[in-house]
Amino acid sequence: MKPFLSNHTDSMYNCSQVGCSHPMAHTSYPCGDPYFGSSIVAYGPQAINQQMVPQMLGLASTRIALPVDLAEDGPIYVNAKQYHGILRRRQSRAKLEAQNKLIKSRKPYLHESRHRHALNRVRGSGGRFLSAKQLPQSNAELVTDAYQKKDASEAENHPSSTGENASITFTAISALTSMSSNSVNFPNMAGSSQCSGGLTFGAGALQCTSVGR
Amino acid sequence: MVDNVGGSSSNAENSGIREQDRLLPIANVGRIMKQILPPNAKISKESKETMQECVSEFISFVTSEASEKCRKERRKTVNGDDICWALGSLGFDDYAEPLRRYLQRYRELEVDRGNSPPKRE
Repeated sequence: MKPFLSNHTDSMYNCSQVGCSHPMAHTSYPCGDPYFGSSIVAYGPQAINQQMVPQMLGLASTRIALPVDLAEDGPIYVNAKQYHGILRRRQSRAKLEAQNKLIKSRKPYLHESRHRHALNRVRGSGGRFLSAKQLPQSNAELVTDAYQKKDASEAENHPSSTGENASITFTAISALTSMSSNSVNFPNMAGSSQCSGGLTFGAGALQCTSVGR
Repeated sequence: MVDNVGGSSSNAENSGIREQDRLLPIANVGRIMKQILPPNAKISKESKETMQECVSEFISFVTSEASEKCRKERRKTVNGDDICWALGSLGFDDYAEPLRRYLQRYRELEVDRGNSPPKRE
């Protein structure tokens, strides 16, 4: 039992160490690239397979953790059972990296339409969104500002064509829908109605967005 | 449709896998992390993103082990037993046993429903 527990401890320690050094990256991804880079440069895939055969023989006889040599940090000891799985995952990630398919930077939001919808929602003190219950009780200044925005948008868009007025209606309907409930499902519906509005009247939607900001 | 257009544009930008295809939703990860913490605890966005990367990689790690077993046995479908076997094979024995019991109970529930497919899941 003790060797097994010590293996787990070593794995956890190594994971935490790597995690500290690269907080935003994969737990083991930064180590994968130099290893497979050097390995691919030095040997071919068949050579890698030849390397694995003695390791498998070693696995059959003992359950001791095996070292994985790395150029940067020196050897990292892992659970013997996970050795081949880790190598396989490193190979998969290296393949994705070679195809330039790994996401290297995160976008602040995933959906443009939902982002624009959130920008149009009314916020209270502290920056939180106001729900339907809080709207009547919110500060008079905020309500006045919201109404002024509506009046300004109506005044500015009133001379324009009927299509843009219809898009304004879509925006208002989606806003009311989102304010009427805090349910998780309703924002999706509001987003979908927003999307449909955008599809029907593209230029109108853009103009409304600019007015809202 | 607009969402799809956004997705395609993000594909064009990243020239590959979208974030939502590679990672679990960050809101769900944050919710699970919050279950174990006291009610007034706060979790930074960096913590959620780090845990999001860790759990997504763990899923790929276990699934890869199960998929390798299916490939050797010339089977095409990875089922629950393969996942339990993979957890045991990778040394996560403490997780394999509860998951096996969960899988057994899940299948019994399916039989009780008269083999009707779960509609809400």
